[in-house]
Amino acid sequence: MFSRSIAIYANPASRRKWLTVASGMFITAALVAFYGFGQAAPWAPLMTIAAILAGYDIALRAWASLRLRHLSIELLVIVAAIGALFIDNHWESAAVTFLFMLGAWLEARTMSRTRGALKALLDATPVTATVLRDGQPVEIAAHEVVLGETVLVRAGQRLPVDGAVIEGTAAVNEAAITGEPIPAEKAPGSRVFAGTLAENGLLYLRAIGVGADTTLARIISRVEEAQEAKAPAQRMIESFGRWYTPGVFVMAVVSYLVTRDIELALTLLVVSCPGALVISTPVSVVAGIGRAARAGILIKGGEHLENAGRITALALDKTGTLTEGQPRLAEIVALAGRSRQDVLLWAAIAETGSNHPLGRPIIEAARAEGHLPTAEALEEIAGMGLIARHGGAQIAVGSHRLFDHLGIAFSAEVKDGIARLHELGHTVVIVAHNGEVVGLLGLADMPRASARPMIDRLHALGVNRVVMLTGDQRPAAEAIAATVGVDEVHAAMMPDHKLDQIRVMRAEGFRVAMVGDGINDAPALAAADISIAMGASGSDIAIETADIALMTDDLGKIAEAMEISRATLTNMRQNLVIAVLTVLGLLAGVYTGSIHMAGGMLVHQLSVLIVILNGMRLLRVPAADKARAAIAQTTERVAA
Amino acid sequence: MTTKNIRTLLRSDELSCPSCVPKIEKALLALPGVTKAEVKFSSGRIEVEHDPALSDAAALVNSIAKTGYAAKPSAF
Repeated sequence: MFSRSIAIYANPASRRKWLTVASGMFITAALVAFYGFGQAAPWAPLMTIAAILAGYDIALRAWASLRLRHLSIELLVIVAAIGALFIDNHWESAAVTFLFMLGAWLEARTMSRTRGALKALLDATPVTATVLRDGQPVEIAAHEVVLGETVLVRAGQRLPVDGAVIEGTAAVNEAAITGEPIPAEKAPGSRVFAGTLAENGLLYLRAIGVGADTTLARIISRVEEAQEAKAPAQRMIESFGRWYTPGVFVMAVVSYLVTRDIELALTLLVVSCPGALVISTPVSVVAGIGRAARAGILIKGGEHLENAGRITALALDKTGTLTEGQPRLAEIVALAGRSRQDVLLWAAIAETGSNHPLGRPIIEAARAEGHLPTAEALEEIAGMGLIARHGGAQIAVGSHRLFDHLGIAFSAEVKDGIARLHELGHTVVIVAHNGEVVGLLGLADMPRASARPMIDRLHALGVNRVVMLTGDQRPAAEAIAATVGVDEVHAAMMPDHKLDQIRVMRAEGFRVAMVGDGINDAPALAAADISIAMGASGSDIAIETADIALMTDDLGKIAEAMEISRATLTNMRQNLVIAVLTVLGLLAGVYTGSIHMAGGMLVHQLSVLIVILNGMRLLRVPAADKARAAIAQTTERVAA
Repeated sequence: MTTKNIRTLLRSDELSCPSCVPKIEKALLALPGVTKAEVKFSSGRIEVEHDPALSDAAALVNSIAKTGYAAKPSAF
């Protein structure tokens, strides 16, 4: 019991809590005695005890600071409380010290909830890891894992290190990194991240990043740097805050000398902390950036938050951004009376001899339909296509160049088919059997399912100019643009052209965000008002350089990032208004005599709490998101 | 004189008003062997450069506790 009391006393947080509770009990006792039983005698002693209980800790802290020649808020409060006792204002003294302690406790709790978005990430890293040493599993501290060592992860455990899977499979929930709740399948060769959760299976990893050198740790430190980066408004307020406290102190002294009103002077001391004002912007920034981080959106500072909220135009790359970045077999055209199955099978037989990216989707499609026999002979003609021998027949698969080369002429039917597929933006693969063109395959990089809803959401947010910049040819670009609802298409662009286009848009008065995958788009990204990198979890460069890094390829996050940014800006303005009004109101109230010590402390503490609570609302932005997700889920279920 | 300064990162959940920033920084810098102390209000991080032979992590935590805040060392 005794040692426990010592422990409570030694921990500043629990000591303050109990002192506050005790102080509050004495105040209540005094109030009950006076108003309930008409007893005036216990009033002064009970209130004095309450003031001493709450004031004791304040005085200790004031003294600790004073010894370091620091004029602290605690000093002003304790001077005011002692002064009140001397002028026999026991109630004011007790109320001021009690409210100061209670307010600080509530503020610390709410503030830590505001910081909590990041705490969840911090807590995601396990402290221990199981490694294989001499073939035996050994449990060690996570940061003591040696690079290259084999780490064992069982179902239900969080991964202690960044690594590559050597053996085993598991569904790994990567929400800590990507904000994505659906687990990813991991198999030998997969890259895995510290802080992610193995939902089943058993994994053996080779450690490639430990401790502070993991993606999660880098994300956390980037987020924190972003939260700490001070916006210009915040710097101004902080320098104001620095002279505000001594300023009020001087005002209190001067006021006393002029008016000889000791209560007025003491009240001024009580309201001398510009609390709400100095935390108004940081609270919003911390909550906004923390909220974004939880969804796998890394916003690199208050400045970018501000820029992202004011975007009026968005430029994006096509391939890999609006589209999946991988060709899919979109259409099979059977000619000369052949079946679609035959055309696909012949094409696939020839494609087995190539590593060409266009070959893969054809082979996959054929395998999905049944057995894929191997060719008896294969010849690749670089840049043109393939010639295969199968079942005594010659199969030629490739672009029109291959057929020019082979001297096979196209009929009007074939030419029409090719033209139609080109109009759809498809890449055309021509298939011939024994010198006769038997079919056409249209391959296309399909738009991401999330592209259209994202662009609609951006339009709704007032981003009226969504521009596609692509190196691809116009038909393919326009086909995609029409599907996803892009406002403007610039096709066949070289990297320099993209840069020029961004400059033109900025010159026209737009605030431009550029979305890209990094290296190719680097100049354009740098020229934009704000750069957004997608799928950044695998690339440290993207995390380092982009203003906003999205951990996944989910386009919806772009709109989400903007919604969070806007909400944060609004929140910051609301907080500033609340804070300024409080400061002005308090000063006016004190000088007109309508606010006394207890009231002043109450208003001050309430304003701080309101500002923090308002900031905390950002953790739930956008409020409609959950509802939307629920609707989407029901729709999926109905469809299934 | 050989200085073996290390960087220790502490975290506190209790910073509720930026007025604590100079208070904690001054308290840490008053310790022997502490060459740099930075308190980040927004994230609650406290970065200290110090000579562990003169003031160890426990001494840092202790001096922060005296200013009225609980903090604990953190790996990152």
